[in-house]
Amino acid sequence: MNTDISIVALSLQTAIVATAVTLPLGMFFAWLLVRKEFRGKFALDVLVSLPLALPPVVIGYMLLWVVGNNAWLGQLSLSWFGSTIAFTWFAAALAAAVVSLPLVVRSFAAALAGVDPKLETAARGLGAGPARTFLTVTLPLAYRGVIAGVLLGFVRALSEFGATIVVAGNIPGRTQTVPSAIFTRISTGDTEAAWRLVLVSVVIGIAALAVHNWLLRRSTAGQPRSGSSVGRSN
Amino acid sequence: MISFDLKLKRYDFSLDVSGEFDDGITAIFGPSGAGKSTLLNCIAGSLRPDAGRIELDGGVVFSSVDAVWTTPDKRRIGTVYQDGALFPHLDVQGNIEFGYRLIPQAIRRFDPLDLAEFLGLSALLARKPGELSGGERQRVAIARALAISPGLLLLDEPLASLDAARRGSILNYLRRVHAEFKIPMIYVSHSITEVVSIASKAMLLRDGSVVGFDRPSALLLRAAALGDVIATDPAAEYTRAERFENILDGVIGESTGHSTMVRIGDLEISTRRQNRNPGEKIVVSLGASQIILASSMPQNLSARNIVKGTVAQVWSSDGLVFTQVDAGPKIIVEITENAMTELGVTVGNDVFLVFKSSSVDVFDA
Repeated sequence: MNTDISIVALSLQTAIVATAVTLPLGMFFAWLLVRKEFRGKFALDVLVSLPLALPPVVIGYMLLWVVGNNAWLGQLSLSWFGSTIAFTWFAAALAAAVVSLPLVVRSFAAALAGVDPKLETAARGLGAGPARTFLTVTLPLAYRGVIAGVLLGFVRALSEFGATIVVAGNIPGRTQTVPSAIFTRISTGDTEAAWRLVLVSVVIGIAALAVHNWLLRRSTAGQPRSGSSVGRSN
Repeated sequence: MISFDLKLKRYDFSLDVSGEFDDGITAIFGPSGAGKSTLLNCIAGSLRPDAGRIELDGGVVFSSVDAVWTTPDKRRIGTVYQDGALFPHLDVQGNIEFGYRLIPQAIRRFDPLDLAEFLGLSALLARKPGELSGGERQRVAIARALAISPGLLLLDEPLASLDAARRGSILNYLRRVHAEFKIPMIYVSHSITEVVSIASKAMLLRDGSVVGFDRPSALLLRAAALGDVIATDPAAEYTRAERFENILDGVIGESTGHSTMVRIGDLEISTRRQNRNPGEKIVVSLGASQIILASSMPQNLSARNIVKGTVAQVWSSDGLVFTQVDAGPKIIVEITENAMTELGVTVGNDVFLVFKSSSVDVFDA
C-alpha cells in the first residue's frame, strides 16, 4: 500500500512537471499557429502534431538520442549537474511532455481561435501592449478551453508508458510510474496489486475527462450572442 | 491634423493614397473593396504599409524612409468598429475604463463616468455587452474610444449593423461628441447618406486610389464621381450597397402647412416641413427604392410628388433593375425585374416617378 502511494505520487510529480512544460510551450505554439502567418507554419504544425502519429516507443528512442548518456544534452547535464537526464524521473516528465504536447496545442489552438482577433486589435488600439492584451483579453475569453487543454495534457502525461519506459526505464522508487508499475505487476503475476493501480487510473481518467467535457460545454453555451439586439430599445 | 502618403500591396489589391485631413469630420467613402478599411487600419497602426509616411499632429508615426513605426498602443487613436468589438467578459464600465486605466494620469481629459452619462449609458454600467442593444453597444464603443483622450477618432462603418432608427440616433451622438470634445474624426462608410449628413470633407476611394477629395455634396454631385461611375459599371458599384440614394443639389422654396418645397434645377418637389429659410442651399437624399415608377400619369394618389421624365439608362443587378430617369436632374429608381417586364420600360420612354414627401431627406449643403 505504501508503495502504491509513492508510485501514484511519482506519477503525479512527473505529470505536473510535464504540464508545467507544455502549458507555456503549448500556448506559444498554439498562438503562432492560430494568430500568425509565417513561412514554415505548415511544417511546425506537422512537427508539433507528430508525437500523435508516432508509436510512443519511437518518441522515447528519439529522446534517448537527445538526453542519453552519450548525447549532447546528456553530456551537458552530466557536466553541469553531475547526473544525466536519461533514466531519472525528469526523463519520464520530459517523455510525458513531448507525448502530451500535441493534445495541449490542439486544445489551446481551438480555444484561441474562438476569440475574435478584432477584440485584440481593439485592445491594442486602446493602449494595451501585446502581453497585456493576451492576459486581459485573450486569456479571459479562452480560459475554459485553456483549462480543458491543461487537463487533457495532464491525464495524457499520467498515462504515458511507451516513451517513458525507453527513456526513463522502470526503476522502482525512481522512475516507476503507475503505468509501468501495472506492467511490472501483470508480468510478475501480481494481479491483485495490478488491479489497485488500474482502479486508481480509471478513477483519475474519468474525473479529468468529466471536468474537461463540462468546461468545453460551458465555453460554447456561455458565449454571448453578439449581433442580436435582444429586443431592447435604445 | 493627420497627413498620410502610403503604399501597400496585398495579393491582387494595392492601395496608393495620400491626403491631409483637418480637425473636422472627414469621411472616407467608396464601394466595398475600395480600400477604406485598409487605409483606416494603416492610420490606427494595426496594419503596416509597405512604404510611405503618416504624421499625426506633427509627430511621425510611420516613415519607411526613417524606419519609424509606432505600434497602435502608443498612438492614442480611438477606433469605433462596425459591431462595437466590445470585450464580452467586461461590463459596460469595464469596457469604458479599459483604455482609460492605461493612459498616464496627466493626459486624461475625460472622466469615464462623465462619458457614460454624455452617451446615455449611466443606467447600463453593470451590463455585459451581450445584454445590450446594437445602438447601446455602439455608444459604449464610442465612450470607450473617447476615454483614452484620443487625438483622433476613427469610425469604421459604425452604423452598418444598426437598423435605420438607431442610425439617426448614433449620428446625432457623433455630432454632439465632435461639437463637445473637438476631436478630429475620420468616418469610413459606403453610405452616401451618412457621409453627406455628418462629414465636412470627404475622400472618395476606388480600387485603392483617391478619386476625389472635396465637400461631400460637391464630390457627389460631380459628374465624374457619380454619373461616370454609373455609365461605366453600374452593377459593380451597387450590388453590395444595401440601397442606393439619389443625392441632389437643391434650394429651399416656400413652406406651407406641413410641407416645404425644394427646387432641384427646374424640378420642384415637396418635402416634409423644413426649419430653413427660402433660398437656402441644401442637399436632398432620395432612396432609389422609395420611388414608384409608372408608365402613365397616375391619378388620385396621396403621394405629393409625381415627376415626369425620360428613361436614360436601364441596368440590372441581383434581380433588381435600376432605371436612370432624366427629369431635369437624373434620378435612379430601383424596381424588380417582374415590374420591369410588366411595365415594358425601355430607354427613351416617358415615365412618371412617384414618391412621398416623407421619403425625401434634406441635409446641409
